[in-house]
Amino acid sequence: MNRALVEASALGLLAVSCLLLWVRLRRAAGPQSDGGYPTRERLRFELDHLRRQLARWLTTTDHREVGILYIVFGTVAGLWGGVDAMMLRTELLTPPTDIWSPETYNALFTTHGITMLIFFVLPVFYGVGNYFLPLLLGADDMAFPRVNALGFWLLPPALLLARAGLFVQVGGQLLSPVFPQETIRFFLTLREVSVGWTLYAPLSVQSVNPQIDLLLIGLHLSGVATTLGAINFIVTIVYERAEDVTWANLDIFSWNMLVTSGLVLFAFPLLGSAILMLLLDRNFGTTFFAVEGGGPILWQHLFWFWGHPEVYILFLPATGLLSTILPKFVGRRLFGYKFIVYSTLGLGILSFAVWAHHMFTTGIDPGIRASFMANSIVIAIPSAIKVFNWLTTMWDGDIRTTAPLILAAGSIGTFIVGGVTGVFLAVIPVDILYHGTYYVVGHFHLIVVGIIPFMMIAASYYWYPLLTGRWYDRRLAQFQSVLLIFGSTVTFTTLLIIGGLGLPRRQAVYPPEYQFASQIATVGAYVIGLAALLWLYNMVASYWQGDPVRTTDPWNLKATGQFTREWQWFEGRMVEKYDVTPAEPETVRPAYDPEGEPSGLLGGVGTVAQTVSRNAWMAAVGGFVGTVLMSGGLGTAILIGVLDPASFGEIAELVGLPASPLLGTLLFLIGGTVTWPLVFLAFQEYLPGRLLFETGLVFATLISTGFVVAFYTGQAGLALIGYVGFVVVAHWAYGLGLSVTFQYLRRRQRAKRGRGGG
Amino acid sequence: MAAEADDEADSESALFTYGVPFVGVLLVAVGIAAAVPGAYALIQEDLTPCGAPSIAVESPEETDRRFGDAPPPTVDRLDFAALAPAEQAAFEAALDDPIGEAHVEGAFPNAETFRDGTLVTYEGEHYYATVVAENPCFQAAPLQFPLGVFAIALGIVGILTPPAYRRLVALETGLE
Repeated sequence: MNRALVEASALGLLAVSCLLLWVRLRRAAGPQSDGGYPTRERLRFELDHLRRQLARWLTTTDHREVGILYIVFGTVAGLWGGVDAMMLRTELLTPPTDIWSPETYNALFTTHGITMLIFFVLPVFYGVGNYFLPLLLGADDMAFPRVNALGFWLLPPALLLARAGLFVQVGGQLLSPVFPQETIRFFLTLREVSVGWTLYAPLSVQSVNPQIDLLLIGLHLSGVATTLGAINFIVTIVYERAEDVTWANLDIFSWNMLVTSGLVLFAFPLLGSAILMLLLDRNFGTTFFAVEGGGPILWQHLFWFWGHPEVYILFLPATGLLSTILPKFVGRRLFGYKFIVYSTLGLGILSFAVWAHHMFTTGIDPGIRASFMANSIVIAIPSAIKVFNWLTTMWDGDIRTTAPLILAAGSIGTFIVGGVTGVFLAVIPVDILYHGTYYVVGHFHLIVVGIIPFMMIAASYYWYPLLTGRWYDRRLAQFQSVLLIFGSTVTFTTLLIIGGLGLPRRQAVYPPEYQFASQIATVGAYVIGLAALLWLYNMVASYWQGDPVRTTDPWNLKATGQFTREWQWFEGRMVEKYDVTPAEPETVRPAYDPEGEPSGLLGGVGTVAQTVSRNAWMAAVGGFVGTVLMSGGLGTAILIGVLDPASFGEIAELVGLPASPLLGTLLFLIGGTVTWPLVFLAFQEYLPGRLLFETGLVFATLISTGFVVAFYTGQAGLALIGYVGFVVVAHWAYGLGLSVTFQYLRRRQRAKRGRGGG
Repeated sequence: MAAEADDEADSESALFTYGVPFVGVLLVAVGIAAAVPGAYALIQEDLTPCGAPSIAVESPEETDRRFGDAPPPTVDRLDFAALAPAEQAAFEAALDDPIGEAHVEGAFPNAETFRDGTLVTYEGEHYYATVVAENPCFQAAPLQFPLGVFAIALGIVGILTPPAYRRLVALETGLE
């Protein structure tokens, strides 16, 4: 099939649909006509308005408008790269290359990678940063507004240069029926680059396609734009902060943008140099990457010295958004702010020390490989610190299942799977096995899709009221969020599995036994595509049709003291423009209580030894009551013949005593009175359940599974059902007895302490 | 405002607000996976030279660079005059093509030799030629396209269920 025409048509259809929807909704939102016809004056007014708007958007240096330009540009690039992804997954519906040609498939995964990594992610984050950083910092604008605008306007030509092959190809196909081949030779020569997004030498040097040169120039231009933006962010954060914004209370998104910008400053100039060297090799006969010169491996070193920090350049702003948004919907302050900042700085530094893990299969020196393996494993630690802090922020929080929260929680899940699978890849022997397989594709997509676009969309939902003054369709947003998480999980875990089974990546042709799994991954990818379209529809339609925001605190953030600077700015604007009364929450509670008594059972007054002994005897009493209650259930089970008392003998055997059921029962009583209550004390905070008796029931259910296995003596049919039923119910009795007695004793103790103190 | 909307959302059926559209999206995704290739199978022969493998021909200079002075004996040699008409046409078209590729449209008796890579002697010079793509025709079951379209249509109905459901609820409440 003709890829170029199909892709250009798909993009055109998407653009026209958006435009029509926009125009239609805008008309519907305006005042209704009384049946007259448009006059010449009216048309002239419309044209003047259009011209003014065009001039405004082309010349603006306002940080919020430049931010919106960045976001729109990034979204367009993201949709373009997304169309590439849908097309390449379509090819993989069948094992042979019978939909596109192999060259087209190669071009699709090349352009998909480049468009998404260079032109989608960073522009969107730069847009969010441009809009919100000055608001969060209390600055009037970015430090260098004109440089800011210049940085943005370098990007559209960069994208066009990088992806020009598509338009030139379509142009050639449209011109070829009219003009002779010789006349339009240029159009027939240029085509999308198909050497892989990593542009590995010597293929990228020897490939005759001149589009590679245009791509390199486009990438270089985008690198310049990115570096300009990074300088601007750094200077703004360092010098433009309001007086009361210190390093200690700088918001977490600004910290992440600062570190990201630092990485950009060190990584992108190097990419620029490498690109120029490649251009010189291709066009001026230099031998930087030729076998007889610097060697093709040199390209890989230079490329990945940029490429791995680039992963964190894309990832860190997403984590910043996650750390910003998550606390707002769980009613708790971000847990471990300092450690999240340290982990961000740690990731920033370590990201420059792991590049060679992309090159374990190239045969570089084993000593160097080993050191990079160690670094690559170590880099998991700061990432794990972040995950730990996000989970502890959510723990026992007042969770509101809004779309941003769903996406934030989903991001944590997919990031954990993506991250842990990456730790395996950091190990040289594992990497050598899986480097060329879909395992790698599944791993990195669980991160680059599983957190980056998730958090972009979460941010769009979170700040949409601030950006537009309107609400989006929140039901649709929740639905779309779940859909996005579902589609991503299905697609990329499937890729992990088929990669683990050994399916090579970057191949248009694959063995037929992988067809069904590949089709599942493709259907999952279509679900992601549909989720993206639903998001786009919601954003565009709600701009005109969404309910107007009538409060200055749309997310009720004042109730938990999380009404941050950007919302304060929004409130100021609402009061000034619409004379809205600032919102006052019905109830207020702090999102953080530094003076609060630890809720854990092990907390309390006195020395550690006193606390432990006090808790131990209370636990023993609770355990005894629980065990007595449980005995009723187990005794009944023995009476009706579904539990064999001889099985208790095995417990005695376990500790080296004779296999006597009596001894076993005695040990069982001791265990129920001492061991299990202490285990319960240690872990009850990590078990689900708000009240202690709920936690006790969960604990009892969990340990009952161990009992079922340990005391099973071959029961079958109804006897088995009866055995399991009695065991579970008896354990529930134990759990209730343990937790209720414990709570009762604890309350008595507190009351006594209160009386003593008072 | 947010609380009001949340209350409103809570009072609605989760099945019709989230469950049915979710199944609808899955149906659309599966439908696309069936209908797009299914439709392509119906029209591909009008659009593409499927079944006609692509060969790439390297210039004598590139061929020399590839093999040096002495090409290995394992690489078969073919004389241009001995090629079938379709092979000859494709060879010459590839020489004219900017990236050196062309389709073999017709009988391809030397396909196996081209697949392994061969040196073709043409006007006294050696050109390395090889098959770079098989371009097989896509095979699809006849029902794949209609069932795919049906799944997409049914899925769209599923996706549009929440507003329809809300209207029906409003209608019924109004009737009471």
